[in-house]
Amino acid sequence: MWRGAIQFGLVTIPVKLYLATEQGGIGFNLLHASCLNRIQMKVYCPYHDEVIQRSETVRGYEWSKGKYVVVTEEDVDSVPLKTMRAIEIEMFVNATRDNQGTQFVKAAYYLEPEQIGAKAFFLLKSVLAEQGKSAICKIVLKDREQLAALNPFNTTMLLTTLHWPDEVRALDELNLPEDQIEIKASEKKMAEQLVASMTGDFSADEYHDDYRQALMAVIERKVAGEKPEPATRTEPTNITDLMAALEASVAAARQDRKSAKADVKVVEAEVEAKAPRQRRRKTA
Amino acid sequence: MQPTDGVAPFDDPAYLFEAWWPGVRAQAWIEGGRLIRLRAEGMADALTAFGELADELPGRLVEDDVLLDGWLLALDEGGWLDTDLLRRRLAGDHHAGRPAFVASDLLWSAGNDWQRRPFGARRQRLEAVLLDGDRCVVSHALRGEGTLLAEALARFGLGAISARRLDARYRAGPAGDAWLRLPLVPEAITERPRLALIQRLPFPEGSG
Repeated sequence: MWRGAIQFGLVTIPVKLYLATEQGGIGFNLLHASCLNRIQMKVYCPYHDEVIQRSETVRGYEWSKGKYVVVTEEDVDSVPLKTMRAIEIEMFVNATRDNQGTQFVKAAYYLEPEQIGAKAFFLLKSVLAEQGKSAICKIVLKDREQLAALNPFNTTMLLTTLHWPDEVRALDELNLPEDQIEIKASEKKMAEQLVASMTGDFSADEYHDDYRQALMAVIERKVAGEKPEPATRTEPTNITDLMAALEASVAAARQDRKSAKADVKVVEAEVEAKAPRQRRRKTA
Repeated sequence: MQPTDGVAPFDDPAYLFEAWWPGVRAQAWIEGGRLIRLRAEGMADALTAFGELADELPGRLVEDDVLLDGWLLALDEGGWLDTDLLRRRLAGDHHAGRPAFVASDLLWSAGNDWQRRPFGARRQRLEAVLLDGDRCVVSHALRGEGTLLAEALARFGLGAISARRLDARYRAGPAGDAWLRLPLVPEAITERPRLALIQRLPFPEGSG
């Protein structure tokens, strides 16, 4: 958790920051294969040829090959950054995908306002939401100044840390001949129809990590003393089955047409049956 | 022979309609009871990648010295068409999916050139010459009923249908109205949308 304040202009909103995501994978420990005990990672100094304690280490910056300068906690604390305990809002931008710099995200954090700043916090959230804006800001996290975007999210706001522009690779190395590709109107229309037919509302709840679930099932069986079953591979059906399915689909489409025609005939018959009565009524 | 992009499915008894299979167009040459060449779009020879066809295709023919035109496909475990598996197989992964050849035209038969004969006759000959097997079939087709086939294939998630004039000869280069590729409105693509993602590779120059 991180504690600080959102700052823009003369406004200061005290907030707490919580990681919004967690690693979803299954964690393993490294064991010694012969005794199945957990191994330990020792910190080794090749100069003294001995294992040392982590508390005996310091951080060093390699300013030249093999030459280091030690950077202490005091040095880090003395860094004259405005953003040390602040989420310093630099500007507001339209929260659209055109702001491509905001697409290279590192991590997401939930914000929780301190009680004293709750009103200003939700005021900022509502203004961002109504105007479709995203706040671009700076924050120091993990000893590094980070670029971040602040957006309304559900009942709070979400801070996503971004890669600095010089951390984003250029596209020059890729072969992207978009200018040379000729797309016919009919091809584009077909693609648009396909996209339209598959367009829906994204709900992350509908997606699951199937691999993780399957791996957990294997682990649970081993814990219970069972031998994991090898993955079953169903024998594929062949191309004649596919043709048979196609034939069935054609037959179904033909039947649908017959039914639709029959319905039309029934409707026409009903209309004809009613029509004379209406005429009679009119002439009566 | 290169198809012309059409606008939408239609009905016309002068045409034979079939699926535009999401695979790679290929020509299979069978001679001396062996599949001696399998020429696929963008590849010199796909025979190595589709070795299983060499085992089956010659045995499904009732005569020798035959040149078939059709599609190379790959099926997944459920028997559905899978373009990713096809790409992997074309890239040399011999275990990717289950290969299949769907024949749609016959250019040579019993050592005779059939390319100058009408497509309707070639098609009849194809159906008489090639017997359906586990990996090789004649593409099922409908005469005149393009919109009906379109409705049936939209349920499959396929993206287009092929329309060939029954009186047209096989000819090199653009086919004009002799062969049309008609896009489908994918109204019911829900189960297998990837089937509609057709990979069209350029055919080598002068390949017909």
